[in-house]
Amino acid sequence: MTEFTKPFDSSWQAYLLLVPTFAVLIAFLYYPAVETFRLSLYQTLLLGTQKAFVGLENFKILATSPEYQRSFVISFAFAAFVVVGTLVVSLFVSYLLFEVSRGTSSYLVAAIWPYALPTAVAATVLMFLMHPTLGVITHYLEALTGIELDWFTSGPLAFVVVGLVAIWKQLGYNIIFLVAALNNIPETLTESAKLDGVGRLKMLYKVYVPLISPTMVFLVVMDTIYAFFQTFPMVDLMTSGGPSGATNLLIYKLYRDAFEFNSLGKASAESIILFVIVAILMYVQLRVSESYTHYGA
Amino acid sequence: MATNTESTAATARPELSDYLSDDLVIHGLLVFSIVLMGLPLILAVVMSTQTPSEVYEVTNVGIGSQGLANYQTALGEYNLGQYMWNSFVMASIIVVGKVALSLLAALALVYYRFPYERAVFMFILLTLLLPVPVRIVPLFQLMADLGWANSMLSITGPYIASATAVFLFRQHFMSIPASLVDNARLDGVGPFTFLVKVLIPMSKGMIAGVSVITFIYAWNQYLWPLVVISAQEKQVVQVGIRYLQGASQSGLTQWGLIMAGAVLALIPPLLVLVVLHRPLLKTFAIQQK
Repeated sequence: MTEFTKPFDSSWQAYLLLVPTFAVLIAFLYYPAVETFRLSLYQTLLLGTQKAFVGLENFKILATSPEYQRSFVISFAFAAFVVVGTLVVSLFVSYLLFEVSRGTSSYLVAAIWPYALPTAVAATVLMFLMHPTLGVITHYLEALTGIELDWFTSGPLAFVVVGLVAIWKQLGYNIIFLVAALNNIPETLTESAKLDGVGRLKMLYKVYVPLISPTMVFLVVMDTIYAFFQTFPMVDLMTSGGPSGATNLLIYKLYRDAFEFNSLGKASAESIILFVIVAILMYVQLRVSESYTHYGA
Repeated sequence: MATNTESTAATARPELSDYLSDDLVIHGLLVFSIVLMGLPLILAVVMSTQTPSEVYEVTNVGIGSQGLANYQTALGEYNLGQYMWNSFVMASIIVVGKVALSLLAALALVYYRFPYERAVFMFILLTLLLPVPVRIVPLFQLMADLGWANSMLSITGPYIASATAVFLFRQHFMSIPASLVDNARLDGVGPFTFLVKVLIPMSKGMIAGVSVITFIYAWNQYLWPLVVISAQEKQVVQVGIRYLQGASQSGLTQWGLIMAGAVLALIPPLLVLVVLHRPLLKTFAIQQK
């Protein structure tokens, strides 16, 4: 990066340029976030019209509620399923894109398009194609495996189906970053291994994966945030959290507590817990990218 | 990269035929993966032409007898045309607003000397920790207090400032050659002229990239519009396809119609991605650094 003397030094002009951004961030991000903290200490009564200060009671209620505990565990399991599934599939596809000798750019567009796929569309399409009685995919899978795939009544199956939708949608984003990372590896680092005649698959996990590990960590963080925050449409459209709570992810529970049951204090406490989760994830990402720049990118 | 692989592999393994078949395997696997990823979409397009009774013959995966009639019904009778227009207006306002605000903020951060510069930048970046679900209850109340519920303001206002966009423009501005900046300084060019005549022309790719990311992100919003928009005619298309789920005809769910709606809701962001994938990829390359 080139150094230059900053051409302008009027502080009030600088602050003026920052006013629009600051106004929006304060009004719609910081103020509501601080309010969430405050509300989480209140219990709302009479459909949110009255409230009473209860301290940390909402957090205690959540910590001891079997329903919330279950939702918490399910959300982490779901995130793990989505992160692992997405990374394995996109690593495989990205490696093929990296190794292929011709048609790279047309293949690339054909592989990254799910980045533009709206989650609600992904959910609607697979809801139908995997429908227990009408779905053509379910029909052939059942014929192939001989197992009845009724995910409308089986919790574990519903969990997997919603997870597959989440993975499908997230492939494009992951492939974009993995292909870029693979292409950025200096040839000098991989040349000797290639000359030794190391096989392609071994090359991938012995040579390439360690070299792109900063990108992998970045994607683990982004995919985890995605699994916690962007999966609401899938649960809402496909399972409504069921069957019997098997897909009741934290984000969906938060929505229902806030806007169906009007437990605004409790819902705010749930928001705070989500905030802690995202803060930890971002911290991990920051630390890793820092150490990455140290060893020289 | 690919041509180099070819030459080294050829020296490692003398038999050319071996290598050729290896390359063929890669093409084969790639085509297989891409078809598998696209298959649900292809099936959705096919099924969107079927009548409910054709849909209920599960193994029938041929073009149905409805042709494009389901699309007409979805757009007209089920108001998807209106919802798509609402989505388009929403996404456009967010793109223009976010790009404009973030350009101004990055101009201040990179080209001005002022106190608390670092703190200002941190204040902007920290909002990455505040996605909508973290502040959804008070934000909803705020919209009600402002009288913004059910309005375009409620689904655009909270989105037009962004840490990511400011960060990206800042990174890009810092890579603009110092000589250009020094020339501008020596010529005594004002900040506004500098922005319009130097920065914006030099940031076309980055502006395009940020616009694509923002458009796709805005178009795909679901939770917030669902919460804050209750008047159906004001709704955006992602939530609009939820309304289609109830559509049935003599007891049969109209899945053909629902698939038509899903395909329609996908077309705009997909088109934007295909046309503008180059600036998008370049922008992502900077974001990760």
